[in-house]
Amino acid sequence: MLDSLLSLGGLVLLRDSVEWEGRSLLKAIVKKSALWLVYHDFFRDPLNWSKTEEALPGGPLGALRAICKRTDAGPVTIALDSLSWLLLHLPCTTLCQALHAVSHQDSCPGNSSPVGKVSVLGLLHEELHGPGPVGALSSLAQTEVTLGGTKGQASAHILCRRPRQRPTDQTQWFSILPDFSLDLQEGPSVESQPCSDPHIPPVDPTTHLTFNLHLSKKEREARDSLILPFQFSSEKQQALLRPRPGQATSHIFYEPDAYDDLDQEDPDDDLDI
Amino acid sequence: MAAVATCGSGAGSTGSAVATASKSNVTSFQRRGPRASGTDDSGPRLVSIAGTRPSVRNGQLLVSTGLPALDQLLGGGLAIGTVLLIEEDKYNIYSPLLFKCFLAEGIVNGHTLLVASAKEDPANILQELPAPLLDDNNKKEFDEDVYNHKTPESNIKMKIAWRYQLLPKMEIGPVSSRFGHYYDASKRIPQELIEASNWHGFFLPEKISSTLKVEPWSLTPGYIKLLQFIQNIIYEEGFDGSNPQKKQRNVLRIGIQNLGSPLWGDDICCAENGSNSHSLTKFLYVLRGLLRTSLSACIITMPTHLIQNKAIIARVTNLSDIVIGLESFIGSERETNPLYKDYHGLIHIRQIPRLNNLICDESDVKDLAFKLKRKLFTIEQPFQFLNEK
Repeated sequence: MLDSLLSLGGLVLLRDSVEWEGRSLLKAIVKKSALWLVYHDFFRDPLNWSKTEEALPGGPLGALRAICKRTDAGPVTIALDSLSWLLLHLPCTTLCQALHAVSHQDSCPGNSSPVGKVSVLGLLHEELHGPGPVGALSSLAQTEVTLGGTKGQASAHILCRRPRQRPTDQTQWFSILPDFSLDLQEGPSVESQPCSDPHIPPVDPTTHLTFNLHLSKKEREARDSLILPFQFSSEKQQALLRPRPGQATSHIFYEPDAYDDLDQEDPDDDLDI
Repeated sequence: MAAVATCGSGAGSTGSAVATASKSNVTSFQRRGPRASGTDDSGPRLVSIAGTRPSVRNGQLLVSTGLPALDQLLGGGLAIGTVLLIEEDKYNIYSPLLFKCFLAEGIVNGHTLLVASAKEDPANILQELPAPLLDDNNKKEFDEDVYNHKTPESNIKMKIAWRYQLLPKMEIGPVSSRFGHYYDASKRIPQELIEASNWHGFFLPEKISSTLKVEPWSLTPGYIKLLQFIQNIIYEEGFDGSNPQKKQRNVLRIGIQNLGSPLWGDDICCAENGSNSHSLTKFLYVLRGLLRTSLSACIITMPTHLIQNKAIIARVTNLSDIVIGLESFIGSERETNPLYKDYHGLIHIRQIPRLNNLICDESDVKDLAFKLKRKLFTIEQPFQFLNEK
């Protein structure tokens, strides 16, 4: 799955750390997928003081936005080495907005020309930043590759978020050859690892109870044939259930008897006039 | 806020459905139904808005949230003029579904919609709304789905409570007269329903230029623009009563997606003590003022798991009316817990408002779980067998 990282489009975040560096993986992915490479160097001369080459206005963010406005079709991969450098020089919100604008350009229906899929591959050194920016960029990323490994073997934990679906994750062991090509491998040998807990089978709480939760067939029949205490026969029940004509209006008939006083003025009958 | 009209008053308040006393009858109790309040009633007729109903507990006018199970937990529905805040789950899978059900309910009832997002174009959001279930057949199928954990005897002819068979079954009327519809999450809403509806969209990247200078004490420009947009719509379309020529009053449903994320220009998710950490709280305060003075209801989804400063979460909770948190089991250790194997996550009802009341409608059920079946989103109380005697 490492080789098909860019097929999904969007932002691919490559998180590395001091022990497991990701720049070689970045170069390997770029080498695998790029047909035509354009290289912008903003590190050597960020403010363009030497004025040697054509300066893109606005620095790296301006260059990103210029790529936004391109009109030629075809899939484009933008590799950023590194996002940490951008995060240290720009406010995080600006960077997030710019990355989102670039990586979601293909889903805009307003574009007149059919623009190919844009993937942004960014390298993030997660130890340089707090949980805030890392979390914010992770939530924006379509795919997240976290580098790790054991005993000299590097692994990539790939978390793929497709929209409106459950995220899928996968761990891939790999190594980078000297010519920056990617070599996918199986995991390290398992015998040397300490054995984990034996798999506990799920416990059904309804076994071994001191009371009975289920009814046997005979008991169910006995329950069904039980006569209910109010002794209505089923015919009378059906007769009552059948809707009678005029049942929507209910009438109450009352015959006043001798003790009723219909005098509205003096209902308690205690006035002595 | 709308309140129950006391008997005898002639003023028509929007919350009352009990017919006000007319001058001719001696009694103030009138029977509702086909024989009710005939032509000699000279009291003011209350115009009822489609898709709303008054609450039986506190008289507020309620709209449905789009999920009948959630309506029940909130005491009947979402009161007009209030804010429903949904704390998103970690991978943002289930909260968009609640958001879209709310909007779809608005379309089905004919309400006006206002959709604001910084991530997706509102037109695309509307294309992905779930389709409503309007047939009788589908409704029966989902009734069985929802209630299948009850004992099977309750579905056949009742033996003990046989007089309840006399009660009429719930009728499935036309689209606009029912309160609360079921939605099929696997199908899209028909295109003609979207085109027939009246909606306004606010997509932040289109509305804002990126080089605005922000003073540290004011709102971020994205929020300012959104508030102005909402205020314009409310004023122009007369939801606050400012346009008396409007013949038919309607409800405005506002949906704001991913508020507080960095895409709105707010840095509460990036830093613990950012430069404008009061921006979101000010926005919610002004928004609530706009909602209270108009016939509108608002749903907001917010990625609170990304907010770094916990005090902001507490302030946001206080400034909203209903707060619901979604916690999905994906990626957490609860996914493998056998007790939760039927469910996809937990729902936490963090706050329910006290609207014109001293007490709130808190339900006594605290642990609720949800699951998204192939089509339907249900909320249930797990471990129900422990409660049955």
